[in-house]
Amino acid sequence: MNLKFLVVDDSVTMRRIVINSLANLNYLDYVEASDGKDALSKLEADPEINFVITDWNMPEMSGLELVKAIRSNEKFSELPVLMVTTRGLKNDIIEALQAKVNNYILKPFTPQVLREKIEQILSTTITEK
Amino acid sequence: MSSDTVMTRLFEKLNDLKAIFMYSEKLIPVIQSLIDFMRDTIPLLENINQSITDSASKIPKVTHQINNVTNATELATNEILDLIDKVLSETNNSEAMLERLLELEKEKAELIREVALESNSPKAVELLQKYDEKYDNSARIEVLLGVIKNIKEYANSITISLQVQDITAQQLAAVNHLIDSVQKKLGSLINDLEKTQLKSGEELTIPFEDSMTFDPNARYQNGGNSSQKVVDDVMAKKVNASTQEEIDKLFHKL
Repeated sequence: MNLKFLVVDDSVTMRRIVINSLANLNYLDYVEASDGKDALSKLEADPEINFVITDWNMPEMSGLELVKAIRSNEKFSELPVLMVTTRGLKNDIIEALQAKVNNYILKPFTPQVLREKIEQILSTTITEK
Repeated sequence: MSSDTVMTRLFEKLNDLKAIFMYSEKLIPVIQSLIDFMRDTIPLLENINQSITDSASKIPKVTHQINNVTNATELATNEILDLIDKVLSETNNSEAMLERLLELEKEKAELIREVALESNSPKAVELLQKYDEKYDNSARIEVLLGVIKNIKEYANSITISLQVQDITAQQLAAVNHLIDSVQKKLGSLINDLEKTQLKSGEELTIPFEDSMTFDPNARYQNGGNSSQKVVDDVMAKKVNASTQEEIDKLFHKL
């Protein structure tokens, strides 16, 4: 399966780190966005995007709001979404779950954890289909 | 009313007045000391007011400096990432070249072996043995490939450690937010003390982005997987947690 990632984070450093980690896992196709609003316009513009990796704390539109917007949009509702954030409080995780994120990674993360979560999401998505 | 009665009442009133004067006489030193105390206190209050004003005027500068630190670390981190990209690109090229060299070395060794065996000469077999022992570089190339693999792993570890920049940026944003709250409190305190606006709002305002978002609990845990495990546990149990009640139960279990 050809994956095209949308990497959403307001920190340029974190976007680069996520993209480098993806490259290490041989995922070389990606698009970047600096917040939720930007991510939604990138999704509209590029129908090939089939995987979203997003931060939570961002200006304009947070990662959680982005997930809710994706889930409520018929076109994107099935898109796999992986949240990568510093927010480790259980309430936050529950909130993300309720918003229907597919998986959740805490920063700082390793490429191994990233690979594991992407594979988990892909296997679940394929099984569900 | 007879004049006696009037006089009696007049004397009574005079006595009351006298008592008041006597009491006032006792009270005057107390009032005087209170006035003295107030006189002494006013410069102190003015000092406090001045100190608060000075501190308040420095706060925007502190916030600005914190923002500068964040920008500088982000810039430096990106420069490090640029260098890591170059290191990884060059190590990838070197790795590819060494892999090709290893293939060629193996092909060369095989070719020499074939030539030696075809020639049926004992001298050629002897030279082949010497070549295998001394001139075959395959093992050395494999060592170099191992070194390159290690360099790549170290470079990737540095990249992962650089996530600390994002985490500290969030912590600094939280500090700025806290300073902003202190600034507002100090501003209202100054207003209470002077009953006037001390300085124009703009002068004391912190250059704070309304849209600034951060996680005040952001922390850097190097190599610690315990927090990720909590996340995984919650995520793994989501299958059974379709209602809020179930999610709440799940939450209390953890």
